[in-house]
Amino acid sequence: MKKRMWKWNAAALLIVLLCLSLAGCFGNKETVLTIGVYSGSYWNTPNGNCYQILDDAIALFEESHPGVKVEYVSGIPSSDYSEWLAGQIMMGTEPDLYFVLPEDFDLLVSSGALAQLDERIAEDPEFDTAVYYEPCLRSGQSEGRQYALPHESVPTIMFVNKTLLETNGITMPDNDWTWEDFYNICAQVTNVELRQYGVYGYSWLDAMYSNGASLFSEDGRSCYLAEENVLEAIQFTKRLGELNGGYSVTARDFDEGRVAFCPLLYSEYRAYQPYPWRVKKYSAFQWDCASMPAGASGANISELHTMMLGISSRTRHEDLAWEFCKLLSIDEDVQRKLYTQSHGISPLPAVAEDPELLLQIHNDIPEGSGFSPEMIHQIMSNAVVAPKFNAYSQAMIMVESAIQGSANNQLGQSGMLIAESEINIFLNKS
Amino acid sequence: MKTERNLINIASVMFVLNFSILAFYSLICATTTFRICDTLGAHDFLNSVRQIPRYPWQMPVQSLSLYALLCAVSFFKIVRPIERFSLRVGICVMEIALCAGVFVSLNFYYSGVALLVLADLVHYIRSNKMRLCFIVILSLMFAFGRYEIVEQFTNGIAFDAYLSYYNPVIQSCFTSLESLMVCLNILLFVLYMILLFTGQKEENARIRKLNEQLNQANDQLRDYAVNMERMTQMRERNRLAREIHDTLGHTLTGIIMGADAGLALFDVAPEESKKRIQVVAQSARDGLTDVRRSIKALRPDALEHSTLAQALEGLVENFRLTTSARISYFQEAEELKLDADEEDALYRVVQEGLTNAVRHGRSDRIEIRITRNGDTVSVSIRDNGTGCGALEEGFGLRHMRERLEMLGGTLVYGNLDQNAEDGYTGFFITVCLTVRNRKEE
Repeated sequence: MKKRMWKWNAAALLIVLLCLSLAGCFGNKETVLTIGVYSGSYWNTPNGNCYQILDDAIALFEESHPGVKVEYVSGIPSSDYSEWLAGQIMMGTEPDLYFVLPEDFDLLVSSGALAQLDERIAEDPEFDTAVYYEPCLRSGQSEGRQYALPHESVPTIMFVNKTLLETNGITMPDNDWTWEDFYNICAQVTNVELRQYGVYGYSWLDAMYSNGASLFSEDGRSCYLAEENVLEAIQFTKRLGELNGGYSVTARDFDEGRVAFCPLLYSEYRAYQPYPWRVKKYSAFQWDCASMPAGASGANISELHTMMLGISSRTRHEDLAWEFCKLLSIDEDVQRKLYTQSHGISPLPAVAEDPELLLQIHNDIPEGSGFSPEMIHQIMSNAVVAPKFNAYSQAMIMVESAIQGSANNQLGQSGMLIAESEINIFLNKS
Repeated sequence: MKTERNLINIASVMFVLNFSILAFYSLICATTTFRICDTLGAHDFLNSVRQIPRYPWQMPVQSLSLYALLCAVSFFKIVRPIERFSLRVGICVMEIALCAGVFVSLNFYYSGVALLVLADLVHYIRSNKMRLCFIVILSLMFAFGRYEIVEQFTNGIAFDAYLSYYNPVIQSCFTSLESLMVCLNILLFVLYMILLFTGQKEENARIRKLNEQLNQANDQLRDYAVNMERMTQMRERNRLAREIHDTLGHTLTGIIMGADAGLALFDVAPEESKKRIQVVAQSARDGLTDVRRSIKALRPDALEHSTLAQALEGLVENFRLTTSARISYFQEAEELKLDADEEDALYRVVQEGLTNAVRHGRSDRIEIRITRNGDTVSVSIRDNGTGCGALEEGFGLRHMRERLEMLGGTLVYGNLDQNAEDGYTGFFITVCLTVRNRKEE
């Protein structure tokens, strides 16, 4: 009986040793860092070689970190990337480091998939948050904590149909123009009989951002729908809409060059303004971009969309992931390449406002560009980031229907106050 | 024995059932995760639960292996019985810890394993205190180890979230299967407990019956002893009567007849009469010797074969051996050779005194001192017992006093000073007896 027990014990010991030695063998193999990447451009613009910048960065990283191999799965279109990433998280096979789409940020933070970076930032002497535009850095924050680093940002800017303005004898607006300038130009351009319109796609939200207002508090617990500057924005868009005499302007009108203004993403400007892409879209007229018109109590502020990089909370190579994350986010060489090849604006002022680089970028634009370093600085450092929280989309639906309702019932501010308290109740419940 | 086999059968079924339940939960979670990913529902799922799920393999592997370990410990306990109480408790604690491990690894979806462990431990541990302790712990675990309750403290995903992936028909199939198995587990537990406690009740009843029989036998023995004593007394009386009849009767008859004859012859033949009276005197002397011999036959056995001093030493030694009392015995009389009745009396005094000290006084230190001053022998006995509440002369003391008074001695007794420094704070008996001068005889 005893002998047999000994045999069993010996067998168990052998198995344990075998496991340990196997683990040792695998442990000595080179470390593999995985990255979650999408193909193409997130900004809905054509992008020739989307992996070029990443491949170069990987080569750089592998060179400076011997024994480390960086891998990624290619061929996931940006439209499928959210689903792919969620699937990987479900299976527990998510990459160590991955790109975080602006719309996924809240989900990834609230589900605990992203590692918190505050401690690392505090401990890392090479890392200084002051190198970023503040709004870009803020995009990666939730409840005051940093979960992701900005990679590339795209603000909303105002598309201007120069041809249409010229035919109406109007000069291109300045970059510090106001709602009143905007309204006046729209009023001058609008001619319903000639099917000429002032603006397409300018929402009350765009107006609100440039009126220094925010719709929700940072923590998503209260709504400011009935605030004065929000109401002003709503009123202003309503006034703009009334210029068209009940006609609602379509994308087709805009494409045909019948509309003077349209808010659009900076990436579209970057993609379609230079040759050869300019022949593909908006080729029937001359166009340029300006900053968003400033509201009565605001400034020329636009909404900012930022592609971010986050580290998985379950990664086993947190240090390496952090190093690589830094490389993609704050390394000026990588950011310079990205700035020239992609269609966004670098989150680093040192790169984004570099006159030489801007010259190189805008070289392809036939008439030159109105985007001076000062304008980029003004747009980027004042841009607002739409708050992201759990109930955001549901709350937005409630806000929209409240605005719709008050427009129909002519209730004005009192109607908004009622709606605001209802939304507050909802926000506090959720 | 039959109950025991039934209990083991129920426990086995419970083990298998719980394994199935654990497999049910963990496999549904794992396979649903794969299905969700295959059908591109991962984003929506994450959006609804707002929680990163554990690795899909983690739940089945962890929960089932911990459960297997739990089964192994439970089985080991039966196969190799352990005597040491602390080890037994250790095994129980280990089982409870494994049970908690199963809970956590299964994300608190199922707490029925606590019932299984409870059934197992209640059967294993017989100490009522420990049993109560385990019952309380495991009941609390069963009641509070539910996802709905610990949801606030853990960051797991509700089982319903996984179920909601399926269409309502499959969902209801799963939930009915789930509740069926959970209910079956509870039913089996209740059955197990009923069987266990009725089995124990039967055993208790059996023990009680045996106890009664034993008491009866004891009573019978006591009756028998009383009868025996009575019979012995009777026999002794008969012997005494016979002895008196044979010796005294015979001698006295001879004396009466001789004396009568002497009287009749006194005037006629004074010489003959004198002879006759001489014969009578001789006969009376012989009779006295006979009486002495008879009395000798009634003496204590110890005095029959040895001297008083030896007999007393033997008595004290015997007492030391049979009781735990420390007895200090001082024989300070140089010569202790007395008449048989005197020896008897003193022997009985010491015997009775010792018995009283231990029986009534509950003392554990007794001192006996025998001194002789000329013709006066005194015996003093004192102890450290409780003494005597109300000084009432019982049968033993009265008998002692009567015996001594017959011989012209005295008996003094009473309670000692409670604060005596030498520690003798109980009862004392002092006997003084003036012995007959043996030389007179």
